[in-house]
Amino acid sequence: MSLVSLVKIQEKQFKKAIIDSLQLIDYNFPKVQNIVIKPNMCYYWDYTTGCTTDPKFVGNLIDVLREQISPKVNISLVESDASAMKCDRAFKILGYDQLAQQYNVPLINLCNEKSDKATTTVGKTKITLQVPYIIKDADLKINATKIKYSMEPIKITCAMKNIFGCIPYPQKYRYHPFLSEVIVAANKLMKFDLCLVDGQIIQGAQTRKMDMAMASTDQVALDAVAAKLAGVNPKSIKYLQMASKEGLGRISFKNRGIPWEYFGGIFPRRGTKEKFMAKAYEMVNKMHLERRLMLD
Amino acid sequence: MKQLNLGLIGLGYVGKIHLRHGTKLTDAKLVAVSDVSRNALAKARKTGVKHTYLDYQQLLKNPDIDAVIIALPTHLHNVCALDAAEAGKDIFLEKPLASNPKEGEEILRAVEKNGRKLMAGYHFRFAPPFRDLREQMLNGFLGEIQTATATFVGAGPMIMHRADGHSPRPVPSWWFDKKLTGGGVLMDLGCHMINLLRWYFGEIVDVKSYLGYRFKLDFEDHAACVAKFVSGQVAIFHVGWFSLGHQVRVELFGTAKTASAEIVPPAKIIHAIQLLMGKSSQFYLPHFLELKQFIHCLKNDIPPSPSGMDGLRDLEVISKAYANSIQLE
Repeated sequence: MSLVSLVKIQEKQFKKAIIDSLQLIDYNFPKVQNIVIKPNMCYYWDYTTGCTTDPKFVGNLIDVLREQISPKVNISLVESDASAMKCDRAFKILGYDQLAQQYNVPLINLCNEKSDKATTTVGKTKITLQVPYIIKDADLKINATKIKYSMEPIKITCAMKNIFGCIPYPQKYRYHPFLSEVIVAANKLMKFDLCLVDGQIIQGAQTRKMDMAMASTDQVALDAVAAKLAGVNPKSIKYLQMASKEGLGRISFKNRGIPWEYFGGIFPRRGTKEKFMAKAYEMVNKMHLERRLMLD
Repeated sequence: MKQLNLGLIGLGYVGKIHLRHGTKLTDAKLVAVSDVSRNALAKARKTGVKHTYLDYQQLLKNPDIDAVIIALPTHLHNVCALDAAEAGKDIFLEKPLASNPKEGEEILRAVEKNGRKLMAGYHFRFAPPFRDLREQMLNGFLGEIQTATATFVGAGPMIMHRADGHSPRPVPSWWFDKKLTGGGVLMDLGCHMINLLRWYFGEIVDVKSYLGYRFKLDFEDHAACVAKFVSGQVAIFHVGWFSLGHQVRVELFGTAKTASAEIVPPAKIIHAIQLLMGKSSQFYLPHFLELKQFIHCLKNDIPPSPSGMDGLRDLEVISKAYANSIQLE
């Protein structure tokens, strides 16, 4: 079973939370030279909305890496343009420009990087994606993600969905009809070594302050814990099932740190109304009404 | 009476709204559209628009077109409105009138020189809740208004609303260029609140502003302003692009009573159902009503309101607000 840790972030002490969460999963950093960190950046909505990884969390992670590996280790922060988000603007608006200056680390828009075609299969589906060299060549890849509870079909956005954001192709909405398959393919082709969750603020039916951090080396197990926290059965999430079958990780996990009971009743779960609206919206999407009604 | 033929220039966010309404007007017909996107023009043709042009100059050369709706990015308002006036077309020009008062004055001069009509696009003046509130005030139900607040906070160009919350959409690059927009949220949303408050209380004699830069861009993304009106009222209006929430609200504080009005965006699913049932969405009703008013003014030779001068006054207030910005410790 894979280990997943859950720790409280006390009074914004991110560094302590990161170190504690890593200790709980018995993680020791390897002596490496080139590290990439993939924060979760969502459009132009900053960390206070629960959509984006807090730059301070990433800054503290950089401190930990420099202390525990080497002060001279090369660290790059990576993100790619999305259907609606342009990295150049997002870096500035979301506070990452400032972080990069403060910590003297480069901000990389993966869409501007050299990449190579790579092909994998998910079930019987063959999927080809571009894989940036900077990710391929990194000695250590760290996924610094968020937890967001969303609509069908994916239900949650956490570690695995964040790697979908490494695909260096802006118009990623084209993958949405087969999103689960592409999420798994992206994770197979760009396997990250360590996942950390900035769980200060969680976005779900409501935005909620949770002040927690999570860590695991198994992205499937981490996502399974994130799902379970919100009362979503991990086995009902298609991409987790597929990832498990593909050997990317395990849905079964052993959690350490904050006991489950702590989360009872405090997670931002969706009520009946939200569930109904979600279903109705899904139907609207299926009927392509947005375009027909020119609402997009 | 001859049916009026309309041309629509620009098929961006608000242009699409006008396109939908333009085909539903009873005493005018939208016969032509212009946009730089072939895809947008193809969609417009499917709604029944007869002529489509990639170059708006070609639309202006069409002698069958009596008036144009200009729904272009702000920096193109001036040049397009001047061309339209020279071409002898009456003009419905989306807010803000121009990037700055100087360009606004040029538009007004060109319209006057060519004997055309100009209406500024401020749809909130046609929103039933804000009209009702003004009626209450004018009928004296509230006593004498001493102070007022007006709020327009949302995500500005960076959002659209839907049933489950919000969905991102690409933001055209001109929004991030202050030279093209003429400013930040004060230009985009502030002009609405200024226009609405001026409609309630008359001209603004003084204004001071606090400008905020949460996004660290070179234009403000939130602002709080205090304005004094010639009629003696003082209003506080604040606008912002920083929120996933959405609020457009006016509150009037009178000696007899207080009252408020607001516009709430519908859940997208409700919105879609309304449209599927053939009903006009309540959210876009004010846009439809303002277009109807424009047609009414043209047909009956009435000066349109909000006028081009209203649009210019709003720009002057914004300029003053920028000049009178204060720092807070």
